[in-house]
Amino acid sequence: MADSKQDQADKLKAAGAGKAHGHVAKGHVASGDGQTRRSFISWVVVGWAAFAACMGGLATITMRFFAPNVLYEPQQTFRAGAVSEYAPGEVSTRWKSKFGIWIVRLDDRVVALSTICTHLGCTPNWLASEQKFKCPCHGSAFRMNGINFEGPAPRPLERHKIYLDDEGIMVVDKTVSFRQERGQWDEPESFVAV
Amino acid sequence: MDTLKHVINVLSAPQVSFLAAAIAFFFVFPPTDRFQSWNRRLRLDWLWTVKGGILLHALVIGAFFLSTLDPNFRAIVTKPDNVPIALLLFGTLFFLWLSMKQACDNDARLANDQKPNEYTDPSESKILVWPDLVYIELIAGILCMAALIFWSIALEAPLEEPANPTLSPNPAKAPWYFLGLQEMLVYFDPWLAGVVFPVIIIVGLMSLPYIDTEPGGSGYYSYSDRKLYVSLFMFGWLLLWVYLIIVGAFMRGPNWNFFGPYERWDLHKVVALTNINLSSLIWVKLLNQPLPDNIIIREMFGIAMLGFHFLVIPPLLAMTILKKFYARMGNVKYAVFMFLSMAAVSLPIKMFLRWTINLKYVVAIPGWFNL
Amino acid sequence: MAEEEKKDFWARFFGSYIWKSIFRVGIPRDRRGRLMQVLSNFFLHLHPVSLPKHAVKLKYTWCMGGLSFFLFIVLTFTGVLLMFYYRPTIEYAYNDVIDLRETTPMGIMREIHRWAAHLMVIAVWFHMFRVFMTGSYKAPREFNWCIGVVLLTFTLLLSFTGYLLPWDQLAIWAITVGSNMAAATPFVGQEGPGVALLSIGNVNLIGRTSDARFLLLGDTSIGAGALLRFYVFHCVFFPLIAVFFMVVHFWRVRKDGGISGPV
Ligand code: HEM
Ligand code: FES
Repeated sequence: MADSKQDQADKLKAAGAGKAHGHVAKGHVASGDGQTRRSFISWVVVGWAAFAACMGGLATITMRFFAPNVLYEPQQTFRAGAVSEYAPGEVSTRWKSKFGIWIVRLDDRVVALSTICTHLGCTPNWLASEQKFKCPCHGSAFRMNGINFEGPAPRPLERHKIYLDDEGIMVVDKTVSFRQERGQWDEPESFVAV
Repeated sequence: MDTLKHVINVLSAPQVSFLAAAIAFFFVFPPTDRFQSWNRRLRLDWLWTVKGGILLHALVIGAFFLSTLDPNFRAIVTKPDNVPIALLLFGTLFFLWLSMKQACDNDARLANDQKPNEYTDPSESKILVWPDLVYIELIAGILCMAALIFWSIALEAPLEEPANPTLSPNPAKAPWYFLGLQEMLVYFDPWLAGVVFPVIIIVGLMSLPYIDTEPGGSGYYSYSDRKLYVSLFMFGWLLLWVYLIIVGAFMRGPNWNFFGPYERWDLHKVVALTNINLSSLIWVKLLNQPLPDNIIIREMFGIAMLGFHFLVIPPLLAMTILKKFYARMGNVKYAVFMFLSMAAVSLPIKMFLRWTINLKYVVAIPGWFNL
Repeated sequence: MAEEEKKDFWARFFGSYIWKSIFRVGIPRDRRGRLMQVLSNFFLHLHPVSLPKHAVKLKYTWCMGGLSFFLFIVLTFTGVLLMFYYRPTIEYAYNDVIDLRETTPMGIMREIHRWAAHLMVIAVWFHMFRVFMTGSYKAPREFNWCIGVVLLTFTLLLSFTGYLLPWDQLAIWAITVGSNMAAATPFVGQEGPGVALLSIGNVNLIGRTSDARFLLLGDTSIGAGALLRFYVFHCVFFPLIAVFFMVVHFWRVRKDGGISGPV
């Protein structure tokens, strides 16, 4: 067993030596046990590469360990009532604390606006007197339709999927979101027409 | 009294107070010989004498305690979480003075060809660690512990309402030592303010000893021989860190609006802050044209400004006023030094533009690079 | 007579086999004894045996490095005590923190821990400022300055991770903002620049459940996972790393020639 391994290694060494011989005559300096410097170096490279690969693998496994496979998220869909429950031009905070959604009735549609500031995730407040959402963390502000216009927020608030079920009740599905800057606000699932 | 308070409220607006502080800064902490001669002519070095120190502390502490008579001011500074900030401020003032005083004393000695105060003749016998140092440490520890226990009995540690993931407090503040970064978040994209700046601060601090390799000035307080570095360090520490902590802690109120020190934190204070990008400012407002579709053309003014700031100014300086400095530093060190300094200078410029003309981004390439 | 006996007792006590096995040198009475005292004691051998005059003066070092270390020890001690009551889960955390005040004797352990944490941050900053103003980062102490910067970072990280533990409004919003910055990291955060490049066809490699923030929180928002993770970071991981760097820091102070001074 040990012998055969030794044989193989010798063969490889010989092959390496042959190559070295062809190119750089000076590089072909036999070391004590008949090994050439060139082949020795290439074995060192292989060894270290294997070592590095193993360490990299370990690091990846460790990193991956930090990402759980299953999440226990709270309920993501809910029934938000009939369209008629929301007055035109109203920003409803009814579902804000439970589901993190503002139901906003714009001129021609009802949308479900996410309450997560697109800057760094605080929850803005609806200031009715100024007709804007103002974020208390770094001062971003959004208009009623969700477009950002003050402060550091880089993009408008996200809207979530909203549709009418069989009974004509609006259902909000938070797992699907629509972003204005990707031109998704006209997709039919992003609003309920009135 | 009320008019005085009102004047202070107006003056403390960042566009005024920061500008004033930034200009005054270079006279108080001169970075070059020219500034230093001004500093001497204005007798500003008097601040770092015993008398100057007493006056400085009396002024600041007096103003602080007078201000606590004002209910709005008191309401804010006496929040338990703001107590460490007051401690930090008085401490900063004291240690600033203490180090500058020793630096000035040593500068005078060095100018007279004397050794600095810290120098001990090698023939003098050394101080024994046991008992001298060990007892100092013991006493320092006991005093510190006593102060801590007293503080803990006097003031309850803050604890707010239980966590509520759908309601942000207004204003919602970071822990005080990160208020400088939180303030940066108002002006810069999160990945710059939250990721790039901290990395630059850490790497910048680490690279300091490898940039400042000037001989001498080690092991004793001094200013004159190291003015450029001391001045820049102070600029970062006092203006970009401590000043922003003060602003963040005491002057940022509900909805993250600015409030003067004696102003009531009004939830409904209306401040119109509609942002505008440099591109729309130039193309639409100045040139009366629609925004070009090509992003590069649209943003070319901003890109040109950035390029000028980071790529043109440093070589220009190297060829003119910093000629000798550049020759001593060599290319690599000079480049790193300049990058860090220009970055430090660019922060206040951007902040200032936001305060005055509501500029949002100099260069805005959505999803990639907003500055 | 009684006097005699007493003296005799102490003489025998300090001269006893057991005492001498613990403390190798007697009570230091002369210079040599004092030197030996420092040399032969594990806890004191952090120090050199003697120092130049300026180095023990308060106005030179302000004692700030020492205080930072002292506060770290206080924090470790009080922190471990807090761990006897505090449970890092959403149901218990907040109430446990209240109980620390209401139901533990004296009720100030949490206060000491929190105020000491603030003090430590301040002390570390002033320490850095002193080192800068005395030019002590210059050769041969460049590397120790770098270790110091790492220590500053870890002090802030410790404090920041501790901030989440009381699970109150201050806590979760500070950490929400902080951890969302991780989501903005270039390439590895889902909101950061460059993520669009890391995709195969329409599928993004970096998304809500695979970016830097997710690894940090173990969840898509601040919740039970984040609380437990920050607890482990705060109580085990970061203190261990900080201790490691402190040890190197102190060792380097000695090896770089002791406290800096003019030549
Ligand atoms: C081995 C060392 C440490 C241990 C075992 C420890 C343990 C703990 C525990 C169990 C808590 C939760 C109890 C509470 O929230 O009141 C806590 C809170 C905290 N810790 Fe530590 N800690 C250590 C070191 C530090 C250090 C070095 C710092 C900062 C420099 C620090 C800063 C904080 C802060 C700011 C809190 C929040 C305190 C509060 O709001 O009550 N801790 N720590
Ligand atoms: S999180 Fe809303 S402005 Fe920063």
